[in-house]
Amino acid sequence: MGAVNSPEVTRTRPALTPADLLELYRLMALCRTLESACAELNPRWFPAEGEEATIVGSCYGLRPDDVVAPHYRGPFIIYLMRGADLARLFGQALGKSIGYARGRAVPFTGPVKVGVTPWVAGDLGTSLSVALGVALSFWYDRQMRRSPHSPPLDGTHPADERAVVCTFGDGTANRGDFHEALNMAALWKLPIVYVCQNNRYAISLESRKYLPVATVADRAAGYGIPGATVDGNDILAVHDAVQAAVARARRGEGPSLIDAQTYRLRGHWAEDAADYRPEAEAASWRERDPLPRFERRLVEIGAAAADNLVRLREQVAAEVDAALDRARQAPDAGPADLGLDEVLAWRG
Amino acid sequence: MARLTYVEAIVAAIAAEMRRDPRVFLLGQDIGPLGGVMRGARGLWEEFGDARVLDTPISESAMVGAAVGAALMGKRPIVEISFGEFLPLAMSQLVLQAANIHYMTAGAASVPMVVRTRIGDGPYRGHPQCYEAWLAHVPGLKAVLPATPYDARGLMTAAIRDPNPVIVFEHMQLYHLLRDEVPDEDYEVPIGQAVVAREGRDATVVATGWMVHRALAAADALTAEGMSVEVVDLRSLAPLDIPTVVASVRKTSRLVIAHESWKVGGIGAEVSASIAEEAVDALDAPIVRVGAPHAPVPSARSLRDLFLPDEESIRKAVRKVAEF
Ligand SMILES: Cc1ncc(C[n+]2csc(CCOP(=O)(O)OP(=O)(O)O)c2C)c(N)n1
Ligand SMILES: [Mg+2]
Repeated sequence: MGAVNSPEVTRTRPALTPADLLELYRLMALCRTLESACAELNPRWFPAEGEEATIVGSCYGLRPDDVVAPHYRGPFIIYLMRGADLARLFGQALGKSIGYARGRAVPFTGPVKVGVTPWVAGDLGTSLSVALGVALSFWYDRQMRRSPHSPPLDGTHPADERAVVCTFGDGTANRGDFHEALNMAALWKLPIVYVCQNNRYAISLESRKYLPVATVADRAAGYGIPGATVDGNDILAVHDAVQAAVARARRGEGPSLIDAQTYRLRGHWAEDAADYRPEAEAASWRERDPLPRFERRLVEIGAAAADNLVRLREQVAAEVDAALDRARQAPDAGPADLGLDEVLAWRG
Repeated sequence: MARLTYVEAIVAAIAAEMRRDPRVFLLGQDIGPLGGVMRGARGLWEEFGDARVLDTPISESAMVGAAVGAALMGKRPIVEISFGEFLPLAMSQLVLQAANIHYMTAGAASVPMVVRTRIGDGPYRGHPQCYEAWLAHVPGLKAVLPATPYDARGLMTAAIRDPNPVIVFEHMQLYHLLRDEVPDEDYEVPIGQAVVAREGRDATVVATGWMVHRALAAADALTAEGMSVEVVDLRSLAPLDIPTVVASVRKTSRLVIAHESWKVGGIGAEVSASIAEEAVDALDAPIVRVGAPHAPVPSARSLRDLFLPDEESIRKAVRKVAEF
């Protein structure tokens, strides 16, 4: 149990159609473009360039009734994949009135309705426990449906098949909530997949200064759950591993821990020069940039022609530009957004 | 009507809500077969079973975080932190997550959860530090501290039905101390409403929790000295019912505030400042606060007795405002 690359996590290979492959590419390209746009809009944005394969691969193929608890770096593409509006997300990054939080919360949040747990503050690690609670809620629905005396809570979905994907950073993996949440998820066999978006840094610190293990997945053994380490710059590898773990969660077999090894191509925040990293290291990771890599693969296997991909990238750029225009023109959050009478919910 | 202790009234409220609402469930330590710390969950596991009464590991942050997540999904979790001393372990989940979510999501999400926890000096003396003022300071949280079995049941019921995170501070001294007539049918004591526990003309004592009982005893004793003392039980610390205190002060013109936790930065400081702002014209004497000295609560019974505000310290304070 818990060995790295445990077969329980890696065995299932969900079939991806050529249309899926193109969509994965489009989403990665969209993620890249919108992240650099956000970094330009907001000097304090935390850009996710370089980590697209991990982010998109982890959340692609989920059901609308599943829930994602995303890492703070790069959540916008996840919101988009689940139905958010790009202009409103840009508005969020800019503190505009059209932003989903109307200027009230951190820039990297989005709508709740699409099944994503909200970022409200920036306290890293708490989301691992909140995600645990979502999985507990799914588990609870199943228990209640099974009890002959209790009415079903939610008749619309087969509740026992819903799953949670929670992504988090390699630095965040050292918060106490990591241990508490994984332990409880393992104890109760909750339907959740924890994915470490491991970019080897926590701000300026290199992971060897805070991670005494080669991969966060080694820690799975301590909870008696399967762990797997994947190339986080290979979107298909990430997607396979996460989907296998999701399938396991849906079967009621409990949580998994995946370490997706990737790299932050830029600084911690938009204006960070990241000069604490050796240039040779950064250069070697630029060679492994997940976008060109996936492009080459698509062309190689004949899933797309190169000019096809160029066209897709142009479409993405146009989509981003249009949304940016809308966001820029929107008014800043103002007195009507302050909402001092909306601190407490009213009883409906 | 049944004659229930404080803790029996709390458990009765939880059981009634669990029968009424399948979304309500409990997370906590030793709440299963043991029946809860100090009998705080007696009979719930037997009636509702493993799925709805979940014994957890010692993981306070994840317990509260899990309640936040479940509440986001429309459940009504009650998470029990065995003692209020351990709330700091879950502080980020409480003050940055639970408290912020409704406002920060511009109303798109809410967190209907209850955190119940035990505070104060108690029969076993353990875990006495009282941190309720910290929580009352934070916008987005509600906090209640019942002083009687009747209020304990009504406030717990209201807390479970509330769409916001509510912290129910349960006073250990009161747990098994006295019995009260508690209606068999459901009722709520509205959160945010203080109550005049005893009417009087000459001075007001605003008190919380155990100190309500000491204030009532002090008021009885002071009748012998010809003083008529009104006692206001705050019941809720957030929102704080300042209008009830203002009305009482307008009647008596003298104010004492008594609580078990530290005087410095205690809830009494907020009451005192509010009265200074809103009703200083009604006062015939400076406000006097009674609270613990600014030191950690000591353990030995003898030290504890020297340390905590008692009936005599409240009597002294009342005499002081009366004789000003
Ligand atoms: C609890 C907490 N401690 C510290 C910080 C400050 N902080 C913000 S980002 C960051 C680094 C996080 O590293 P990691 O989890 O690896 O995510 P990454 O930034 O690499 O995506 C830190 C320390 C924080 N936001 N929350
Ligand atoms: Mg990192």
